[in-house]
Amino acid sequence: MFAKLKKKIAEEAAIAPRPGGAARIPRSISKESVASVGADSGDDFASDGSSSREDLSSQLFRRNEQIRKLEAKLSEYAEQVRNLQKIKEKLEIALEKHQDSSMRKFQEQNETYQANRAKMAEGMVLALAKKDQEWAEKLTQLEKDKRLLTAQLQEMKNQSLNLFQKRDEIDELEGFQQQELAKVKHLLLKKEESLAKMEQEMEARTRELNHAHEELLASVRVSSDLSCELEMLQRQYSALEDQRDHLLAAETGAENKITTLEQREQELQVFIQQLSVDLQKAQITAACSEKRLGMMQAEHESLKLENEQQNQKAAVKAEEREKLIEHLQEKVSSLEKRLEGNLSDEEQVQELLKEKTIAEQKLDDTRQQLLAARTSQAETVSLLETQITNLYSQVTDSQALLREKEEFIKGFRESSLSQVKELEEMLQISDEKLKKSNEIMIEKEAQIQRLSSLAEESNKLQQHILVLEQKNVEQGNRLEAEIAALEKARESDKTAASHQIHLLKEENANLKENRNEYENSLEAHKLELKKLKEEWGQRETVSVEIAKALEETRKQKEDLQQQVAELTTLINEKEQFLNEKTEAVLQKEEEIDQLKKGHDIVLLQMHQLQSDMEACRCKEAKKEESIGKEMNVLRLQIEEEEEEEEEEEEEILETQDEPNVIGYGETVKELSDDLYPLSNDERTLNGEVDCVDMVQLQKENRDLEQQIIEKNKTIKQLQQRMLELKKTLQKELKIRPENDIFEVREKPNPEVPTASTTVTNNSDLNDSREINFEYLKHVVLKFMSCRESEAFHLIKAVSVLLNFSQEEENMLKETLEYKMSWFGSKPSPRGSIRPSISNPRVPWS
Amino acid sequence: MGGFFSTIFSSLFGTREMRILILGLDGAGKTTILYRLQVGEVVTTIPTIGFNVETVTYKNLKFQVWDLGGQTSIRPYWRCYYSNTDAVIYVVDSCDRDRIGVSKSELVAMLEEEELRKAILVVFANKQDMEQAMTPTEMANSLGLPALKDRKWQIFKTSATKGTGLDEAMEWLVETLKSRQ
Repeated sequence: MFAKLKKKIAEEAAIAPRPGGAARIPRSISKESVASVGADSGDDFASDGSSSREDLSSQLFRRNEQIRKLEAKLSEYAEQVRNLQKIKEKLEIALEKHQDSSMRKFQEQNETYQANRAKMAEGMVLALAKKDQEWAEKLTQLEKDKRLLTAQLQEMKNQSLNLFQKRDEIDELEGFQQQELAKVKHLLLKKEESLAKMEQEMEARTRELNHAHEELLASVRVSSDLSCELEMLQRQYSALEDQRDHLLAAETGAENKITTLEQREQELQVFIQQLSVDLQKAQITAACSEKRLGMMQAEHESLKLENEQQNQKAAVKAEEREKLIEHLQEKVSSLEKRLEGNLSDEEQVQELLKEKTIAEQKLDDTRQQLLAARTSQAETVSLLETQITNLYSQVTDSQALLREKEEFIKGFRESSLSQVKELEEMLQISDEKLKKSNEIMIEKEAQIQRLSSLAEESNKLQQHILVLEQKNVEQGNRLEAEIAALEKARESDKTAASHQIHLLKEENANLKENRNEYENSLEAHKLELKKLKEEWGQRETVSVEIAKALEETRKQKEDLQQQVAELTTLINEKEQFLNEKTEAVLQKEEEIDQLKKGHDIVLLQMHQLQSDMEACRCKEAKKEESIGKEMNVLRLQIEEEEEEEEEEEEEILETQDEPNVIGYGETVKELSDDLYPLSNDERTLNGEVDCVDMVQLQKENRDLEQQIIEKNKTIKQLQQRMLELKKTLQKELKIRPENDIFEVREKPNPEVPTASTTVTNNSDLNDSREINFEYLKHVVLKFMSCRESEAFHLIKAVSVLLNFSQEEENMLKETLEYKMSWFGSKPSPRGSIRPSISNPRVPWS
Repeated sequence: MGGFFSTIFSSLFGTREMRILILGLDGAGKTTILYRLQVGEVVTTIPTIGFNVETVTYKNLKFQVWDLGGQTSIRPYWRCYYSNTDAVIYVVDSCDRDRIGVSKSELVAMLEEEELRKAILVVFANKQDMEQAMTPTEMANSLGLPALKDRKWQIFKTSATKGTGLDEAMEWLVETLKSRQ
C-alpha cells in the first residue's frame, strides 16, 4: 500500500520539477522518434542527448547522399508521396485537429491531472507529514512498547520465575498432598496392620494363655506327681534314716570293736614289749648267770680251797663253838631260868656257874657239832659240787630254754604282727564301710534336700502359675481395651482423613485451576518471551559481532603496544650498548695512545738491553770459547780423573747444601769475580800446557769445573734476568695484541738456546720447541674437549699459542658466549677491522 | 661484552664456580696436590706439558681448579689463565733450596699482574715429609711474602703424598673466599 504510494510519489516528484515543458516533450520526442525512424530504424541513440544528435547529423548527411541517390526513386515515389502527403496532410490536418483537440483534451486533462496531482501531492505531503508524525509517534510508541515490552519481559521473566516458583510450589504442594495422602493411607494401613498385628498378638496371647493353662495343668500334674514322688522320697528318706541309724549303730559297734581291737592290740603290744623286756631281762639274767656261773666256778674253786682251810679251822672252831654253844646253852638255860623265876644273886651265881658248866658242856657239844659240821660241810661241799654240776647242766638247759623262748617270742611276734595286720585290715575295711555308709548317708541327705527343694519349687511354680494367670487375664483385658481404643482411633482417623481428603481435593482443584490459569498466562508469556528472545538474539548476535570486532581491535592494539614496548626497550638497550661501546672505544684509543708512547720507550729500553745482552753474550762467548779450549785440552785428563772428580763433586754438593743462601750468593759473586782473573791465568797457562804436571792439571781441572759451575749459574741468573725483562715488557705491552707479545717472547727464545748451547747441549732448542708444540697440542685438545665454561678461560691461551689477532679472539669469545647462553643471536663473523685496532703493529726489533 | 654476559650468567646461576690456579715450578707437586684434592688419592704423575683442570667440591663450594704445567718453557703461558681467578695456590718444593730464588721471581712476576690483583694467595710449602725440608717461616722469608701488601696470603706446610696440611689450607681458603664474597 505504502510502497505503491511511495512509487507514485516518486514518479510524480520526478515529473514535478518541469511541469511546464511536460506537455510539449512528448511531442518533440515523437518528432525525433519519427525522424529517427525515417533515418535509421531501430537506432537506440535517438532518445539520447547532443552526442546522439551529432551522430544523427552525420548519419543524416550520409543518408542524404543516399537519399540523393535515391531521389530518383524518391521522385518516383514523390508523387505517390505527394499524394500520400496530401492524404497525409489531410490526415495531418485531421490529425492536428485531432491532436489539438486531443492535446486540448490532454492539456485539460493534464491540467486537471496536475491540479489533481498537486492536490494529491499536497495531500500526499500532508499525508506523508501526517504519516511521518504517525510513524514517529508509532516509533515512539514502538519504543515505548519496546520499553514496555522489555519491562513486561522482565516482569514476565519475573512472572515466569514466579510462575516457575509457583509451579514448583504447586508441584511441591501436590507432592505434599500426595505425600500426605500417602502418609494418611500409610497410617491407615499401618493402623490396620497394627490392628491385625494386635489381633494376631491377641490370638497369640490367647494361644499363649491356653498354652499357659495347659502348661499349668501339666505343671499341676507334674506338681502332683512331684508331691507323690516327694512322699515316696520322704518314705525313702525315713527308710534311709532308719538305715542310717542302723548304720550309725553299726558304725558305733564297729568303732567299739575297733577300740577294743586297738586296746587288744595295745595290750598285745604291751605284752610283746613285756615279753621283749622279759626276754632282754632273761638274756641279761642269762648273761649274769653265766657270769655268775663263771664267778661261782671261781668261787667254787676258791671256796674249795677255803673250804679245806676252813674245814681245818672249822674243825678247830667247831670244838670251840661247841664249847661255846654248850656254855651258851647253859647260859641260855640259866637265863631262861632267870627269866622264869627272878632268882637271887646266889642262885644267879650258881646258876651262872651252872650256866658255865652248861656252856662248857655246850662248848663240847659245839665242838662235836663242829666236827659234825665239818663233816657235814665236806658233805655239803661235795653236795655243792654235785649241785654245781647240776647247775651247769641246769644252765645249759636254761640256755636251751632261753633259745626256745626266744624262738617262741619271735614266732609270737610274727603271729602278733600278722594279727595286728589283720586287725588293721579289718580296721580299714570297717573304715571303708563306714565311709561308704557315710557317703550313702550324704547322698541320702542330698536327695532329701533335693526333694525338699523340689517341693519348694513346685510351690513356687504353683504360685507363679497363679501369677501368670492373673497377668494373662490382665493382659487380655488390657488388649481388649487397647483394641477398643484403637478401633475408636481408627474411626476418628478415618473421619479425619476423609475430611482432610475432601479439603485436599478442594485445594487440589483450586490449585489445578490456578495452575491452568498460570499455564495459560505462561504460554502467553512464553510466546512473548520467544519473540523478545528472537529480537534479543538478533541484537545479541550484532552486539557479539561488535564485541568480537572490538576485542580483535583491542588485541591488535595490545600487540602493537607490546611491539612498541619491545622495540623501545630494544632501542634503549642498543643505545646503552652503543654508549658503552663508544666509551670503551674511547678508552681503548686512549690506552692505545698511552701504550704507543710506552711502547716507544720500551723499544728504546729494549734496544739498550739487547745491546747489553749482546755485550754480555760476547763476553760469555769469549769466556766459553776459552773454557772450551781448556776443556778440549783437559778432556783426556778428565777421563783419567773421573773418579776423583766424582769425589770432588760430592764435596761441591756438600758445600752447596749449606743452607745459608746469602752466603751462597756471596760465594757465587766471589766466584764470578774470580772468574775473570782465573781465565786470564789459564790463558797464560794455555801456552805452557805441554810442560804442565799432572798435579797442576788436576788442580786446573778442578778450578775449571768450578768455573764451569759458576758460569752455568751466571748463565742461569742471566736467563732469569732475561725472563724478568721479558715479563716487564709483557706487562707494559699487556693490552697489545697477544701476537706482539708472542713475538716478543718468541724473539729471545732462539737466543736463549744459542747462549745455552755452548753451556749444556744442542737438544735444548728442539726440546723447547717440542714442548711448545706439545703444549699447543694439549691446550687445543683440551679446548675442544672440555666444558664451555672451561673453554672460555682457554680462549686466551689458544689465541696466544696460535697467534690469533684480537678480532679472531673476540670472535671466538662471542661464539662461545653464544654457545653458553640460550638467548642472543649468533654473532656474524666480522671481516671489518675496528679502527682502534686497525693501525699496523709497530715492528720493534 | 664478555663481562656483560658473564654478569647475566652469574646472576642467573647464583653459585659461580670458584676459579683457582695451582702454580709453581716444575716438580713442586702441583698435579699431585690437584688429584689429592679431587680424588683424595696419590696418583703417579708425569711432568705436565700443558695443564689439568678439575672440578673440586669442598664444603659445598665448587672450585674449578687449574693445574698449569710449571716447566720453564711453558711458564710464560701462565698469564693466559689469569683472568677471573679467585685464588692462586702457589706450590713450592720445600727441599729445592737452589731454585727458591726462581720460585720467588716467578711469584713476584705473577703477583704484579693486574688480572690477579684481587686473587687470594695460598702458598703450599710442599714436600714437608722430607728430612731436609725448609720451615714455612724460612720459605715465607725467602719468597718475600711478608713484603706483600694489599694481598690476602697464607703459607701452609703440606705433604701431597702424605696428605697432611691440605685440609687446613683448603679450610682457610674456603673461609677467606666466603668472607670475601
